[in-house]
This record gives sequence, C-alpha cells and structure tokens, in this order.
Amino acid sequence: MPHTPKSLPRSKTALMSIPRKLARATICLCGALLGACSMGQMVARSSLPIIESGNVAMNRETDLDLARAAIPANLKLVEGLIQELPDNADLRLQAAQGFYGYAYGFVEDEDNRRASGLYRRGWEHARQALAASGFQGDLAAMTTEELKRQLAGLSRRAVPALFWSASCWAKWIDMNRNDPARIADMGKAAELMERVLALDENYYHGGAHLFFGVYYGARPPMLGGDFERSAKHFEKARAITHGKLLLVDMLQAEYLAHQLLDRKQFHERLIAVVNAPSDIYPEMALVNAIAQQKAGRLLAKEEEWF
Amino acid sequence: MKKLFAVFLLLFLFPDAHAEEAYVLKFATLAPQGSTWMNIITDWANKVEKESQGRLKFKLYGGGVSGDEPDVLRKIRFGQLHGGAMTGHGIGYIYSPTRVLEIPFLFSSYDEVDHVRAQLMPEIREGFHQNGFELLGWMEVGFIQLFSRAPIYSIDDMKKSRIWLWQGDPLGTAFFEASGLSPVPLPITEVFTSLSTGLIDTTIAPPLGAIALQWFTKTPYMTSMPVMDGIGGLIVSRKFFDGLPNDLQKLLRRTGEEAGARLLVETRRDNEKSLAVLKQHGVTFTSEWKDKDSDLYDLRDRAAAILAKDGYIPAPLYEKARKSLNDYRAHKGKK
Repeated sequence: MPHTPKSLPRSKTALMSIPRKLARATICLCGALLGACSMGQMVARSSLPIIESGNVAMNRETDLDLARAAIPANLKLVEGLIQELPDNADLRLQAAQGFYGYAYGFVEDEDNRRASGLYRRGWEHARQALAASGFQGDLAAMTTEELKRQLAGLSRRAVPALFWSASCWAKWIDMNRNDPARIADMGKAAELMERVLALDENYYHGGAHLFFGVYYGARPPMLGGDFERSAKHFEKARAITHGKLLLVDMLQAEYLAHQLLDRKQFHERLIAVVNAPSDIYPEMALVNAIAQQKAGRLLAKEEEWF
Repeated sequence: MKKLFAVFLLLFLFPDAHAEEAYVLKFATLAPQGSTWMNIITDWANKVEKESQGRLKFKLYGGGVSGDEPDVLRKIRFGQLHGGAMTGHGIGYIYSPTRVLEIPFLFSSYDEVDHVRAQLMPEIREGFHQNGFELLGWMEVGFIQLFSRAPIYSIDDMKKSRIWLWQGDPLGTAFFEASGLSPVPLPITEVFTSLSTGLIDTTIAPPLGAIALQWFTKTPYMTSMPVMDGIGGLIVSRKFFDGLPNDLQKLLRRTGEEAGARLLVETRRDNEKSLAVLKQHGVTFTSEWKDKDSDLYDLRDRAAAILAKDGYIPAPLYEKARKSLNDYRAHKGKK
C-alpha cells in the first residue's frame, strides 16, 4: 500500500531556503501531520467534500447517457481514495451507493451476471462502513439471533451503512435467485432494513419503505408475500417523497400490481411515470429519469405479463 | 375508395388469419422468475415455440401471480389458464392416487423413488387423462425433512413437539391420525410467523423450501431421514391439449418429458446444495433414528389404510407400490 510519504525528502530540501525558525516549525507541523497520515491520505481527505458534491451533481443529472458514461470513472476515483483511506465510512458509502445506482440504472436489465458482481462489490463496501459504525463480526456467518442482538445496539448513526448494506445485499441475492446460498441470506438483509425502518424511516427518501414494498409485493403469500403490507409501505414512501419520486410508482407497478395481476393498476401507474415532468424532483432527477426509462421497458412487457 | 377499403381489409384480416394458426398455452407456476424451475420452464417454452415455428406458444405466469395451486386449477376449469407446474398439493385435486408416492416413510433413496415411479407411471398417466388432464412431464419437490427447534430422533420426540400440519391436507391428516400425534393445523402462509411465536416448533419442508421460506432460521435441527418425497408434474388440460393438431401434441409431450427430466435432476442438485448451505448456517442434522424400521413401516401402513378407506389412495395402488419397492430392495440386496 502506497502510504509512505515519498515526497518528504524533496519537501525538506525546498524548505531550506526559508528562515530557519519557520522552517523548523513547519517541519514539526508536517511531521506531526505526516505521522498521522500520508500525503495521499491528506489529499484523499481533502477531496471528500468534492466527492460529496459530485454525488449531489450526479443525482441532479437528467441526461441518462451522460450519467451512464460518467459514473464508472467516479466509482474508480472513489475506489482509489478508498485505497488511501480504507476505513473511511463516508467513502465506503459513496462506493456502495454508486455501485448500486450504476448496476440498477444501467446494467441489471441487460446483464444479470455483471449486475450481480457490481451489487456484490457495493455490498462489500457497505459492510466496511457498517463495521466502522460499530457492527462487529461477520454479517454473513452469524446467526439471525446474534444479528438481531447486534442490530439492537446500533444507533441512528449506523443508518446509512445499514441501508446500503441491506440494499446491495438484497439486490445481489435478487440477481441469484437460483442459488440457495444467496437465497438463504434474504432474511438477514431484511433484518438490516427493519432496523433502518425503526431508526429513521425517512432515510434516503423513505428507501426502507420502498424496500419492503418490493419485499412483500414481489412474492405470492405462499412464499412470504403480503400484499396489504406491501401497499402500505409504498403508500408511506409516496407520502415521504410527496409523490415526487417516480421510483415509487414504477416499483409498485413492477412488483405489486404484477403479482396481483392487476393490469389496470400496472398500466396507469407506469403511464403516469412516463408522462411525469422531468423537473418534478430536481434533487433526484437521475433516479427519476431511470424510473421513467424502466417504466417504458415495463410497459413493453404488459402484453406478455398479463 | 374501393382500393383503400381493400387495403384496410387486408391489414385487418392478415394478422387475424395468422393468429388463428398460433395456439397459446397459458401456463402457471409458483416458481419465481430467475429460479431454477422457472428457467427450465422458460427454456421449454422457447423450444416449443421454435420447433413448432411459432404455431404453439407459451404464455408464462410465473412467481405465483395466478395464485396458489388450487387457484390455478380453478382458472384452468374456467378456461383462463391451460396448464401449470403442480406439486403434490395441486396434484391431489387432480388425481389423488398419484400421491401414493408421497406416503410417509416409504422411500429412503431417490433410486427407490425412480424405480417405483416408473412402475406406476402408466396408471398415473391414465388417471390424469381420465380426470381431464395430460401429464406432460414428471418432476419433484424432493425429499422432505423435519425441521425443528429441538432435535428429533423418534416418533416419541415428535409427540412432544408442536408440529405443523398443512391445513386440509388429507395425506398429512392420515399420517397424524395413524401415529396418534396431535399436530397444529395451519395454512402454509402462517408457518413462518407461527415458528417465531412458538405456536409450532416443528415443520416439514424440502431443504430448498426451508431456505426459500426462511423457516430454517427458526429451526436449528433437521432430520437426515426423509419423512416423504414431494412430487410434482407439468400438466395441461385436455380441453386445450385435445384441440391441438397431432404433431403439436407430440411436440408438447416430447419436450414436456425432457423438461420434467431436467427439472428432476436440477431440483435434486438444488436440494443437495441447500443441505450444504443449511450446514453452513449452523443447522444440525440428526441422523440416528431410534425407532425400528418395522415400527415405521407399521405406521406407514396404518396411514395408507386410512387413505384407502377414504378412497384418496386406493389400497391396490399402495400394494403395488410397496411390492415394487420390496422387489427393488431385495434385488438390490442381492447385487
């Protein structure tokens, strides 16, 4: 790992030309800083606000082609910064969210295998963030009882890590519905999201409610589905986002209306999504554009599904 | 004007004339999109469409969107659907004697299952036919095990447990009646919650089912000895099948048989994988069963007698299955 301050000798030479006292003081200061972190780490840390702003800008993007082309480079940049600051939870969360968004928006409808790999990477990053929030032990290996005990001890501070861990994990499982090893973890992913619901149901635009809308709406009752619960969660997500997040209607159509074989609801919700103005929710313009594109694809499946 | 009218006429008539040639088989299953079952059924549908050059198409209703198996059968009777992938639950409503293959403590290996089933298959096929269906392919849910909170080594241990009975299931009811156990009858939708609240502490499922339904998270123990084999079939209504031209009937039968054979192999593989996953998740397999074989056989025979009395599974068919199994075991012993 390139954490050693390679540039130190050169800096020292350059400092010789400035008054001695000041130079000594500067060296002391640098030494103190460098003792705590490398040059790379310092640069990485100072770029965190830029990364954060970049994320905000990406969420406001309305051009899907531009977003599709730009996200991979951003992800690699974030992963590069993670090389410098592997324990930085914010960066890990940026990576998790980025991998999730890229896989969901641009990969999973075309390439299930590639999406599976991307969600998995997102999950690995989110797990690191979760560990930084005080979660101990191996999430995948522990029993459900142990998991519940640990979750009960987590505070609101852990919500982002819990949310992105659960989201990436559930999607990774979703991409592998023919693999018992993945299916077995679905209950645990749901436990993490239950904790989000309890700690902060508004986090990420009511994302936990969207999660459970899909969770209970995507299966028949015989396999654990619960249509009333699903509808209630979608309602809640809609209320939290004041009806501006198009993902809510799109997902309700894709999962609950499909599962209920309710063609009318399916059609009407998706048509509403497709026809919604593009500036309805500027902070979440990219997600809305993705929802609109997916709604169009789903409408093309109407004849086949109903 | 006349010309224009003729063009319109052509436009409207041609797609219609084409549509008349294509048969659409509406087929339902509980298996979710992307699952092993659904993948194989989708391959089957694609093959039929390709080999029939588009004359026979499937419209698949996966993931239980058409309801549970009794719902699907009702929809088939009303002509809204034509076929489906059924487990023993649904097959019981079509031709209940098929479930002779599900009698508890009958089989101890898949070799035995395959041997006995092959012997009974002509009768089973005929039974489906007589009851308005054609059996296109045979598959299975696989060996079903007991999953419990405390380890189970005997029928006596079972007596101490609160065991789930699938409400309204004649086979389960007969088994519990024969064994003197008092089960807790519940719809399948309530099993997970009831395991959590402690209303029940023991359930039955194939390994993959215990994972998919997340029941295994509530049950640290599983019996290695299978309690029964869960059956399944790819079925189509005769109303639909008889309306097909001869060549399409043949195509559907041949490809259905192939799909069933693939489902059988892949389901067994998935269950095998599931056992490994269960072990990884800390489920303990209890292998030593304390009851003598003869006690279990007595219990099995008593359950069969109850089912024969109700006419659910006729005694001669059970006898035939038992004899075939005994012959196979004797023959295998000599090898």
